[in-house]
Amino acid sequence: MKIGLFIPCYVNAIYPQVGVSTYKLLESLGLDVDYPLDQTCCGQPMANAGFESKADKLAESFDNMFAPYDYVVGPSASCVGFIKDNHPSILAKKGHQCQTSDKIYDICEFLHDIIKIDSLKSEFKHKVSIHNSCHGVRELKLSAASELNIPYYSKILNLLKLVEGIEIFQPQKIDECCGFGGMFAMEEQAVSTSMGEDKVKNHMATGANYITAPDSSCLMHMQGVIDRQKLPIQTIHVIEILSAGL
Amino acid sequence: MNAKHTKAAERFLENKDHAAWHNQTLWFVREKRDKVVKNVDEWEELRELANQIKAHTISDLAKYLEEFADNAKKNGIIVHWAKDAQEHNEIILGILQKHKAKKLAKSKSMLTEECHLNPFLIKNGIDVIETDLGERILQLMDQPPSHIVMPAIHLKRQEVGVLFEEKLGTETGNSDPTYLTRAARAHLRNEFLSADVGMTGVNFAVASTGDIVVCTNEGNADMGTSLPKVQISTMGIEKVIPDHESLAVFLRLLARSATGQPITSYVSHFRKPAPGNEINLVIVDNGRSDIVGNKSHVKTLYCIRCAACMNTCPVYRRTGGYSYEYFIPGPIGINLGMLKSPKKYHGDLAACSLCMSCNNVCPVKIDLGQQIYRWRQELDGLGLANASKEKLSAALNAVFVRPSLFYNAIKVGKMLKYIPRPFIYNGLNDWGKGREIPTFAKESFNTLWKKGEIKKNKKL
Amino acid sequence: MSSKKSILDNIKQQQIEASTMPKIKLNAVVYEDKIQQFIEMSRAVGGDAILLKEGEDINQVIKNLFPKALTIGSNIPKITCATFNPDQVDSPHKLNGTDLAIIKGEWGVAENAAVWIPQNVVHKALYFIAEELVIILDSKHILNNMHEAYQKISFENAGFGIFISGPSKTADIEQALVIGAHGARGVNVILY
Repeated sequence: MKIGLFIPCYVNAIYPQVGVSTYKLLESLGLDVDYPLDQTCCGQPMANAGFESKADKLAESFDNMFAPYDYVVGPSASCVGFIKDNHPSILAKKGHQCQTSDKIYDICEFLHDIIKIDSLKSEFKHKVSIHNSCHGVRELKLSAASELNIPYYSKILNLLKLVEGIEIFQPQKIDECCGFGGMFAMEEQAVSTSMGEDKVKNHMATGANYITAPDSSCLMHMQGVIDRQKLPIQTIHVIEILSAGL
Repeated sequence: MNAKHTKAAERFLENKDHAAWHNQTLWFVREKRDKVVKNVDEWEELRELANQIKAHTISDLAKYLEEFADNAKKNGIIVHWAKDAQEHNEIILGILQKHKAKKLAKSKSMLTEECHLNPFLIKNGIDVIETDLGERILQLMDQPPSHIVMPAIHLKRQEVGVLFEEKLGTETGNSDPTYLTRAARAHLRNEFLSADVGMTGVNFAVASTGDIVVCTNEGNADMGTSLPKVQISTMGIEKVIPDHESLAVFLRLLARSATGQPITSYVSHFRKPAPGNEINLVIVDNGRSDIVGNKSHVKTLYCIRCAACMNTCPVYRRTGGYSYEYFIPGPIGINLGMLKSPKKYHGDLAACSLCMSCNNVCPVKIDLGQQIYRWRQELDGLGLANASKEKLSAALNAVFVRPSLFYNAIKVGKMLKYIPRPFIYNGLNDWGKGREIPTFAKESFNTLWKKGEIKKNKKL
Repeated sequence: MSSKKSILDNIKQQQIEASTMPKIKLNAVVYEDKIQQFIEMSRAVGGDAILLKEGEDINQVIKNLFPKALTIGSNIPKITCATFNPDQVDSPHKLNGTDLAIIKGEWGVAENAAVWIPQNVVHKALYFIAEELVIILDSKHILNNMHEAYQKISFENAGFGIFISGPSKTADIEQALVIGAHGARGVNVILY
């Protein structure tokens, strides 16, 4: 099994430690992981703003880059969801058959569903509130969406439960959007900020010291709110917790 | 990047307490919905069935409309067809004039809102009385609805109290909802008793029987059609469903999705006029028949107007119905507005973070979020794309397609060199109004990998 | 060309993917004790339901429930507590001021406390204009859910039929629930 590690542009630039944690954890499980060099962006920011035409070249080079691998794994539910749901139709317009959409996984999904890990060596002695990213819940189905009448499950919760010493919480409005949404965060800044503030408040109300998510983009947004208001809570990617102590 | 919604949203959010209250009030409706939905084990099956029934009906819409109209006619209902809003309004005025009617008691109909019926009738000398409490409040205030199920949800009780004090002579300073509702009951009872014609919208039109089905909680549609001898009901062509078996599916979904009730207090089936009475039915197109063949957006015709997508939408809850340019707000309104006129209403497309919660609450499984995403793609071809978003997208694309440029750019500070200047000032400024801007790491993952730092750390 | 024809023609001209009608077969909710569920649901929707006990006189029960009702309308012969027969009124407007209407329901639905009433009075206004409504319903006529209900109901001769579930209500002011908007302020179902 050869895994291609997908490190999205903003994780690469702003949160390299999230990439490092992902790599380390996969390696620790004895998996064959490779990082194809010089990756950039999956095209989501431009496409969500309405410009798939400014994303098709990126989709194509992404697909070519990762086609040789058995699995593509990345620490960003939103980017993974975008590739899974939108790359096939974007590429089809260029006459290119997408080869990665069926084998790309968010790291949490991959650990939970493919590797099916049932133990971890990590330890994290903190109170943690789970942030269900919209695309994690509603595209990748990492947890049962609160709107649906289906039995409750949360792959993130299952994974975090394997961590020693952790105390796990879930906020009110369990999977309400944090307001990031790419260019939405700038275009609708007032709404986006209000959503971010409410979301951080709900996480803080659980008594947690950390907000954790499978998406650095939501965390980046909430961190922006936290830093501006100097709030006593921090953000951390799920993979950083799962790999803590490695 | 200044869609009208954006500006209106900023204004709405300036009053933080009111905005928080609005958000919470609508969230409360979402919670009520969740609670009853979770008591129906077969809920997801019902949604899927509803989706398939609608898909089927719309795929054979002409047949079902004819079947429905033929049966209604056989039952003695006078069926009228209207191509557009103007014809709709003229037909209704014609019926009123034929009966020398002066006063019309109306129950809630978004279609009449769409057709601007009230101002047209009022201009022609008809005394139009909205009888749904929320609608009546708004009519007295001369405001349009801000929500399609709870039209006056943006108002606080004190505002209604002051209004009723002036218009209905209620006690000064009394804004108790029960007291105010009682006052409206007494006031509207007189209107019902003196109305010449009663008018309703239509929730479902049953093809196999010709039944007109109307759902209300207040009983105003029934009061309005039980006293006068003449009834007018008006429906969009998409309201037709095959039969009573299908109706059972939709009725189980509608009120639960809309207000968290197991069913509305009243579900009326109008089949035949009483002896000596008259039922008029207006079947309206007004652009709908063009959507039937629109693969990308045909599902908007499945909508049963429950407004669950509004109640769950984090943007709608925080910005109110008036922030949208189209008269129907929220996820379904964004899509319907675009179908009506992309030129007029594309600003509403900004009002979505693509969280996709709307898809999951929709009782007929309309892909609301994906449609918004697709509309954004279509704007460029329509010549309506936002120039600064396009420039930014082009600039980002230019950087991302050249990895060396990207990795060079993200070395502290240099990324900005490649971003269009107005965006740096406006875009980052917009981010920075409420949030700190993230800082780039000293070294990217890519650089660390190239330097062998990551593999080096590997514990073997 | 008529508007009807132009609308239908425009629909027919569109390219529409064929889609078959689904079989409406599902394991819909059923209750062990339909009567109990119906009673509980009636309360949940702001109304009430009672099961007439063996030997209990329905007229007495109604009198006890509404001791202050002065104008009581019913066209049901055995309802002797009625003060007038609403069918003998020549205009529905004259029903205004009715304190209590007593009518017959045909089917009850346990999942939502809705009672099916095919029009069985001359002026259907009676159902809405009375301050209080009593619906008399055979307890053997309680069904589990709406699917069962639509298998049963027919109203060929009536011209109008309605499901009533609890009293008239509104939450249009600040989402505060108020019972008694335009229709009956109270709905009591008496099961026998």
